[in-house]
Amino acid sequence: MSSIAVPVRRQRSALAKTLAFVRYHVLTVYSLLFFAYLLLPIAIVVVFSFNHPTGKFNYIWQGFTWNNWLNWDGVPGIRSAIILSLEIALIASLVATALGTLIALALVRYGFRGRATTNMLIFLPLSTPEIVLGASLLTLFLNVTWLPFGFWTILIAHIMFCISFAVVTVKARLVGFDRHLEEAAMDLGANEWVTFRKVTMPLIAPAILAALLLCFAISIDDFVVTYFNSGSRVTFPLFVWGAARIGAPPQVNVIGTAIFVIAVAGMLGSMLLQMRRGKGAT
Amino acid sequence: MNFFHRHRGLTPYLLLAPGIAWLAVFFVVPLGYLAYQSLQSGNIDFGYAFTWSWGNYWHAIRDYRAQFVRSLEYAGIATALALVISYPVAYWIAFRGGRWKNLLLLFIVAPFFVTYLIRTLAWETILSDNGFVVNTLQSLHLLGSDGRLLATSTAVVTGITYNFLPFMALPLYVSLEQIDHSLIEAAEDLYASKVHAFLRVTLPLSLPGVVAGTLLTFIPAAGDFINAQLLGSPENHMIGNVIQSKFLELTDYPAAASMSFILMAAILVAVFAYARAIGTEQLTGTAV
Amino acid sequence: MTDQLTRRELIERAALGGAAITIPGILAACGGSSSKPSGGSTTVEHKLAKTLEFSNWTFYMDTKGQRNPSLDQFQKKYGVHVDYKEDINDNAGFFGKIQGQLSRGQSIHRDIIVLTDNDRYLSLMIRKGWCEKLDKSAIPNIKNLVDVQKHPNFDPNRDYSLPWQSGMTGIAYNDTLSDPVLSVDDLLSNPKLKGKITCLNSMGDALTLVMLANGDDPTKVTDKSFNAAFNRIKKAVDSKQIRQFTGNDYTPILAKGDLSAAMSWSGDIAQLGNKHIHWNVPTDGGALWTDNMLIPKGGDVYTASVYMNYVYDPKVQGLMEAGDPKRKIVGIYYIPPVAGAGEAAKQFDPSAANNHLIFPTKKMLDSVHLFDNKALNNQKYLTKWQDLISA
Repeated sequence: MSSIAVPVRRQRSALAKTLAFVRYHVLTVYSLLFFAYLLLPIAIVVVFSFNHPTGKFNYIWQGFTWNNWLNWDGVPGIRSAIILSLEIALIASLVATALGTLIALALVRYGFRGRATTNMLIFLPLSTPEIVLGASLLTLFLNVTWLPFGFWTILIAHIMFCISFAVVTVKARLVGFDRHLEEAAMDLGANEWVTFRKVTMPLIAPAILAALLLCFAISIDDFVVTYFNSGSRVTFPLFVWGAARIGAPPQVNVIGTAIFVIAVAGMLGSMLLQMRRGKGAT
Repeated sequence: MNFFHRHRGLTPYLLLAPGIAWLAVFFVVPLGYLAYQSLQSGNIDFGYAFTWSWGNYWHAIRDYRAQFVRSLEYAGIATALALVISYPVAYWIAFRGGRWKNLLLLFIVAPFFVTYLIRTLAWETILSDNGFVVNTLQSLHLLGSDGRLLATSTAVVTGITYNFLPFMALPLYVSLEQIDHSLIEAAEDLYASKVHAFLRVTLPLSLPGVVAGTLLTFIPAAGDFINAQLLGSPENHMIGNVIQSKFLELTDYPAAASMSFILMAAILVAVFAYARAIGTEQLTGTAV
Repeated sequence: MTDQLTRRELIERAALGGAAITIPGILAACGGSSSKPSGGSTTVEHKLAKTLEFSNWTFYMDTKGQRNPSLDQFQKKYGVHVDYKEDINDNAGFFGKIQGQLSRGQSIHRDIIVLTDNDRYLSLMIRKGWCEKLDKSAIPNIKNLVDVQKHPNFDPNRDYSLPWQSGMTGIAYNDTLSDPVLSVDDLLSNPKLKGKITCLNSMGDALTLVMLANGDDPTKVTDKSFNAAFNRIKKAVDSKQIRQFTGNDYTPILAKGDLSAAMSWSGDIAQLGNKHIHWNVPTDGGALWTDNMLIPKGGDVYTASVYMNYVYDPKVQGLMEAGDPKRKIVGIYYIPPVAGAGEAAKQFDPSAANNHLIFPTKKMLDSVHLFDNKALNNQKYLTKWQDLISA
């Protein structure tokens, strides 16, 4: 008879199985609770987008209506505000992420003079209170009078404060990056450019996506810096802060919900597209 | 391309150039003006003059020390909370997310698509004195019978934590997601329990993300003013509120400027202390 | 004429700006150059501009769907398009934004802006010479200005400003949560209201009410009366009677029942439309504040003046104020400064015409007071106040 120790599978009681099940899924449950917590105020916002308020305040549920959705741009100025915010957020997040990724690459992979200063320069915008950041940027623009306040000044400001976020996010990924993969690619004949495109980029893609999302979120929600540098253009947050003085109309909820839904739909769409492409390839 | 080989020395500078140039023009220059302003004295009626007024700094520390300390406290607690709350979720998305990863990431930042004020108003509804949450806490005796959640330091810290969750969760995810699972499998093959494998393999490898998330949360949170303004009472106000009032209501631009620099200095000191505590290996490549 | 000046000004600045993009250049240019604002209009050309740039607070104009009927009427009558922007949500914030340009003598590209009189910025703008003088020859309707507004202490001859709308500050309470709260004494000392009231963060409003409750005169503030009122409020903060200091964000908290009472503005309560929330002028007296129209430096004086004349026509003001339910026009619902507007409003919306929050009775108007303008600009008082509300 062989005396090789073979682990014997003990009969697991129902209790043990249940515990194992619970232990495996506790993380899932926790995560779902987390999302519930995160999205709870959004749920309120969505619900109140269907509210039919008497008077100008939308805090107490008064009755269901489709009106706000049908009439989503019924409030003067709301449409141009949200379009401006979306444009700015899109461009700013793309540019900031691009610039930030380049900086992150330099910081992690190369030695150069002025590393400490560069790091400092990345952190300082994060630590500067928004009001003085906005006001001192305003002062700069005041001395560049050929640039009128409006779209471009808002965009410049947004890119400026998003770069730091992009750098830190992408850097977290690059630090643990396995250079051997790149070396292997180059050993197999790829030059630096191709290696970067085909090996590095896909592997840091999740970080770039995360940076894009973060920058987009920051930009679309910014109030203080935008306020000082917007001239007479009104972005969505500026509109809301102004309207909230007398009572934000339910259309604000509609717009917020709509962006959320469109973003989710867009993401789902691209996922479906990738899955179908994957199927086609095999 | 041979260009990069030959010009290796130049590469980092070329990579840095566009971003750093942007920051240099649109951040450093305004910051220079801010520094200049912080040494001015005067008022809005008669104008401001540059007088090497170092007293601004001294007065700021002397008069508002409580708010400075409170800001660092609230930011620190909120950061710790955000880390503890977000880490499991970032882990879950990275390890179990599968093809839904990107969608789940989107859900984390989605609350930002609805403007801050509306989100906070929704929270004011949820945490209202007569609402479900407070009533439950009262019946569980976690809250006094005339206790409330709003207009307290709890509300302020909770608000800050909530608003910075994505800033913590995303970097955590980014660093967790690239951990090579075969390393964990190897640890388990070597008889490590799941917990042990996590503590010895996963956690250390995710440290760059922890550092990144901590910095992205703590630094801006210390200068926040909006949560304290809407969710707190005067005794919860942070240095951001004071700077805000110095600038807007008191038109005391030199004071606002000098306080901003003190805040920035305090934050940088805290960051360096944190860097020391974490250990320099994490730092080369992450923080400093 | 002002158009030309603005353009020339800009060209000059552009030339300077090109050189100033170097860091030393920028610092030099930034360094407190409070050059005298250019463009003193001696004789105003009587030519209407094509566009009137008008910045105002939100929901401060009659509306019909997406449009503002009174502005459309103005365009029809005078051929001037009004570019109406609701970008003022706060005196301090708006001032903080425009002071940079005004202190450098640059135009802010507005013809009319609206600031409140119980805050320091209105008088500051006038004192610093950052506003243009009105062209009174174009405003014959100025005779319709109500008497009480004719000689305010920040602009005794109404050379630079004209009221847009007024409002009153008083106390609102929720009748499902509390007995009527009708006095400041009650608000600040009734133990039943502890932690369930808010005070306004506006020094002018809060101190007016408390000084009146102390028996002092808010139009002539002394150190003694200031300290008495200040300490009273401080006591209420320390004892946690006051839950928070708010701007108009007290409205949702009040509506949701988290507050029993709040120091509040009449217009907000009128628009809340909640039958359980009542607003009253406090027994010892309340405050009257007025938002005023100003022409910032570089604005088109004649066109702005013509517009002001237009809104001072009682018929126009009556419609703007009360709206007209028959034509689906929603009114402003604050207090108009134009005599005769109430009468005119009767033909459009009688119920609004009888609403005392919009057209207050003489008794109400007699019991509301203004705040000493000098005190509003006293840096010592202001710092003390800010430290209190920002503990």
